[in-house]
Amino acid sequence: MTSSLVLAEESGERRDGAAVRHPNSEPPVELRRTVLGDFRTIISELRQSRDLIHQLTLRDIRIRYKQAVFGFAWALLLPAAVILAGMAVRVAYSYASGRGLNPVQIGGMAVKAVPWAFFVGCINTGTASLVGNMSLVTKIYFPREVLPLGSVLAQTFDSLIGLLIISCLLPFLGITASLQLLWVPPLLVVLWILALAFALFLSCANLFFRDVKYLVQVFLTFGIFVTPVILDATMYGPRGSRVMMMNPVAPILEGLRLAVVEHHNLLHPSLGPGGYLFWRPWYLVYSAGWAIGGLLVSAIIFHRSERRFAEIV
Amino acid sequence: MSEPRILFDRVWKKFQRGELHDSLRDLIPAFTRRMLGRGGEDKTELHEGDFWAVRDLSFEVLPGQTLGIIGPNGSGKSTSLKLLTRILEPSRGFAEVRGRPGALIEVSAGFHGDLTGRENVYLQGAIMGMKSVDIARKFDEIVEFSGVQEAIDTPVKRYSSGMNARLGFSIAAHLEPDVLIIDEVLAVGDLSFQERAFGRIRDLARSGIPVVMVSHQLDRIAELCTDAILLTRGEVLARGSAADAITAYVQQHDAARTVASTGLVRLEALRLAEDVTVRSGERCVVRIAGHIAEAIENHIEPLQLRVRSLRTGNLVYITGSRRLGVQLDKPGPFAVDIDLQANLPTGSYMLEAAAVNLMTQKDIASATSVMLRVRDPGTFAGGVQLNGVMRVTS
Repeated sequence: MTSSLVLAEESGERRDGAAVRHPNSEPPVELRRTVLGDFRTIISELRQSRDLIHQLTLRDIRIRYKQAVFGFAWALLLPAAVILAGMAVRVAYSYASGRGLNPVQIGGMAVKAVPWAFFVGCINTGTASLVGNMSLVTKIYFPREVLPLGSVLAQTFDSLIGLLIISCLLPFLGITASLQLLWVPPLLVVLWILALAFALFLSCANLFFRDVKYLVQVFLTFGIFVTPVILDATMYGPRGSRVMMMNPVAPILEGLRLAVVEHHNLLHPSLGPGGYLFWRPWYLVYSAGWAIGGLLVSAIIFHRSERRFAEIV
Repeated sequence: MSEPRILFDRVWKKFQRGELHDSLRDLIPAFTRRMLGRGGEDKTELHEGDFWAVRDLSFEVLPGQTLGIIGPNGSGKSTSLKLLTRILEPSRGFAEVRGRPGALIEVSAGFHGDLTGRENVYLQGAIMGMKSVDIARKFDEIVEFSGVQEAIDTPVKRYSSGMNARLGFSIAAHLEPDVLIIDEVLAVGDLSFQERAFGRIRDLARSGIPVVMVSHQLDRIAELCTDAILLTRGEVLARGSAADAITAYVQQHDAARTVASTGLVRLEALRLAEDVTVRSGERCVVRIAGHIAEAIENHIEPLQLRVRSLRTGNLVYITGSRRLGVQLDKPGPFAVDIDLQANLPTGSYMLEAAAVNLMTQKDIASATSVMLRVRDPGTFAGGVQLNGVMRVTS
């Protein structure tokens, strides 16, 4: 038996740490971190963790539906609440303006309610995902990105059910199909990426500062007033709508409404009720830019602070 | 000689006492202070409230080697393992595991109470880095090893803590690691499960996988480890063979006992005449030499020999020159052989020698201890009776 261990006395002069090298060891490799290298690491780690992502997503979904009275109806609760609240607002609005309320408008709201509920759900569960799994983070090594990613995926599953049910209801609200429905998948993908970017960033921020969770709650509660969910962006007038469309979620939701309800091709501008220019095609690029840029930035922030998680949590 | 698979090169790890700023409100003053005062804080230096949890620790483990890390609570054992498994990052130095690590640490940390045992096996396995197909392949084996077959489709919140731990251990034990890292998981479950768990780890270690393990069960360390390190407050106090490190640890632990060194009796090193390992019932010879300064009185026992079980930490046998009818009262040097019959069950034992004041029951001198390993091939009849015989050799 060859023993590579040296007695403590022999290694006594290595107290100062840096001066003498340990026998047989290579010099510590000082890895220079490049952004590109970080992305490569993230992607390869995530690819190796496919089974883990799958299991964590499954766990989140299972937990939600186990011992739950409503079962899959949970997936519809938040969108239904948004639609009901929206209807109340819309009724008051139509009464004040003297114009009637037609079912197509309710359909337009329903189209936006599910994606909004998805976004809110992702941010809520995503923000809590790291701190909520504290015991794992401090005890077992695995790429931590899988935790927010898993919670976004579980939320995606919920929202797909909601989307399916809402789509079945739309024909009854007088909304017909058109070729513009093809806009729906790319818009949802952009929303998904945006939600993931927020979930990554906020989960990490919440781990370092616990009050982030409360800030997020406040923003989400009031976010519905600065996002065209209940009301359409056109209802805010020419200047108001332009400001509102600067919210990166707004062009996605309005785009969905325009394409699904109004059969509008999003590559063409659209005019608001007073004849002003309301939809500008570059809004699409704007939202996509936020989503992709946000994902890249938050992935880097997440990855670079990852190794301090266990100490800070 | 092959390449080391576990490498720990001059690793230092800093921790902070007290609370870190945890909310944004605390961050803002800290941030402004940093901007105004000392700019780039060096993360490799100690600052106010910091301490080194691990200082300048180096070791390597080769295939076939099993390294034990022992030491009192808070000595940096678990921190070292967390540095190895990449949960923590060293403040200075370099820690690396070459190959796929299998960590038997907190083996049921990923369990969720609302999920069934079956679902948790897949979840925990995935968290530990197993592929779903591998888990599926080994599922029956895992469940059988854990012994919770009947409860496998019950939510684990209804499990007893023992069942929980057994299932967790079984998952971890069926990883196929290149390197095994074990933190204090051998004490889970009942006695028969502990034996099974230990056997499993021994098989893995014997198969040539390099192992690092932390345990307070010194007899397990003695049985499994080829090498060991004794840590105290993050520093290496002793390293060498498992027997050496354990001896140093037991002595450090016992240092509080050695009071009132009167200089009346001095004892030199205790040695085993032959092998460290004996079979149950065989005889072994312990050698010790010493010096008596002046004529001693009746209440002083100049040479007491104690046998301590490392499994329990308790003394199992005490004898002495007076009891064995040997006169060591005359001043001057002496050397004796103590012939013992190892009527002991399998395990590791510490042989300790001391001079004792029988009235105060305090040690007045002690010698370095030595470890004895006993293997019982079925010859142990029960009843610890060592039938000591002492001979004065000079």
